[in-house]
Formats: sequence, C-alpha cells, structure tokens
Amino acid sequence: MSDESALLREPWLDFGRQREAGKFGIWVFLASETLFFGALILTYTVCRIEHPDAFTAAGRETNIWYGTINTAVLLTSSLTMAMASQASEASARLRRLVLVCLMLTAMLGLAFIVIKGFEYKEDIDKQLVPGAGFALSQPGAQLFYGFYWLVTGVHAIHLSIGIALVSRLFWVLLRRQLPAKDNPEIEVTALYWHLVDIVWIFLYPLIYLPGRAS
Amino acid sequence: MNRQGESGGVVRHLWARNLLIWAALLALLVLSLVAAYVPMGRMTTASGIIIAGVKSTLVVLLFMELASAKPLIRIAAISGLVFVIAMFALTFADVLARI
Repeated sequence: MSDESALLREPWLDFGRQREAGKFGIWVFLASETLFFGALILTYTVCRIEHPDAFTAAGRETNIWYGTINTAVLLTSSLTMAMASQASEASARLRRLVLVCLMLTAMLGLAFIVIKGFEYKEDIDKQLVPGAGFALSQPGAQLFYGFYWLVTGVHAIHLSIGIALVSRLFWVLLRRQLPAKDNPEIEVTALYWHLVDIVWIFLYPLIYLPGRAS
Repeated sequence: MNRQGESGGVVRHLWARNLLIWAALLALLVLSLVAAYVPMGRMTTASGIIIAGVKSTLVVLLFMELASAKPLIRIAAISGLVFVIAMFALTFADVLARI
C-alpha cells in the first residue's frame, strides 16, 4: 500500500487507474510511431519496386555480420527488458533482479550503438554516403543508402532515448527514490524499448538481406 | 525461508518463459539469414519479411504482453497497424497500377 502511494501521481486518485492510463497512453504513442516508421518503410518499398536491381546491388554492400550481430544484441536486450518489467510486477522481493536486468538492457543498447558506429565507419570508408564520389554506379543505389542513413539514424536516436530512460530508471530505483514493485514507469519504458526492437526486426531484412542469393 | 523458496520459483518461471521466447527469436533470426542466401526469386525477399512479421508478433504478444492485455489496450495497439495497412494499400493501389 505504501508502495502504491509513493507511485501515485496527480490527477489520479486511484493507482490502478493511473497504471491503465499510462499503459493506454504509451500504446497510443507507439501506434503513432508505427505510422512514422511505416511511412519510411513504405517509401523504401516504392523505391525498391522502381529500382529492384539497384536495391539488390546496394543491399549486397551492407555488412551482414554487423547487422546480424546487432539484431541478436537487440533481441537479447528485449529479453532483459521483459524480465525487468515482469519481475517488477511479480514480487517486491525481486528488486535486485529488476535492477540487474535494467542495467543489462542499457548496456546491450550501448553495445548496439557502438557496433553501429563501427559499421558507419566502414560505410564511410567504402564511400556509401549518397552524393559526389558515391561508390555504386546505379542511381537507385543512392536512394537505398539515403534510406539506410536516414532510418538507421532515426532508429539510433530512438534507441539512445531508450538507453537514457532505462539508465534513469536504474538510478532512481538503485537510490530507492521509487519502489520497483508495480512501478508503471518500468512497464511503460519496457513497451517503448520493445517497439524500438520491433522497428529493427523489420529493418534487418530490408537493409541487410537483399542481394545475398544472387 | 519459505518466502525465499517462493520467489525463487517465480524467478525460475520468469526466466524459463522469457528464455524460450528469446531462443525462438534467435532461431528465427538465423533462419532468415540462411533463407536470404537461398535463391528462390521473390520468395527470398518475402521470406525475410514474413520471418520479421513472426518475430515482431512474438515480441508484441509475449514480451509486450498484448496477448493478456485489456481490450482498450488491444484497440490502441491495433489502431497503428490498421492505419499502416491503409497507408500501404492506398499507395500500392497507385504504384502497382503504373507498372
């Protein structure tokens, strides 16, 4: 009961309603994010229909190992994030598990950004930035890499925000400023984190898998 | 002691459930990687996207717990998908008619 009163915020009089409202709010936000990334992926699809060969050639130039390892890293971070969220709901005695899982999630998110940094360095060295001196001759290939830089950049910004949110939660819970049990902030942050993972799940076959079979 | 045993059981259950989902996600990742190297024409591209769809369904239903969410939450979640489908359908109605 004392945990709930520590977590209760205005304008709610009831903690149960506050949790439901928070969850509903984040899902509405995630629906808008789905449309945002959906529009980018739609643009990619239309360009790919118009330039199939150029997109195949461009996709082949991406580093599949960086992409695959990063996908595995992000899927694992979703595991630790789900564990943190579910442990917070399960029992007040699992505070340590929540903390460890939050720390692992933030570290896996950071690992993703670092690996992406190495990949960006390689892409720049291979002259895969659209503009003068671009490595590939087909004009459609520049469209592919325009999408690549835009969408991976926007995704990295989303992930960085996620890392900041998870790190803040870890710090607040570590210092016992808020209880871990049933904390709606953990649940809401977890939902955001999973969406960032889902966006990457769809980007993986669009960016890294074209042109491998030919 | 009894309480400790109880929370130990909860932890084991949580890890067992979530590790199973994680293992399925990684297996699907490997499957999509292997399928990308198999020349099947358009099916090669489709396989990658279908597997991504299966992976995201697992994440949404089980990690994000939409499978056990209340109807209001489900409506909010599905609304995003509905509008994305409308956006794709209306665009393709134009683009595919021009080919």
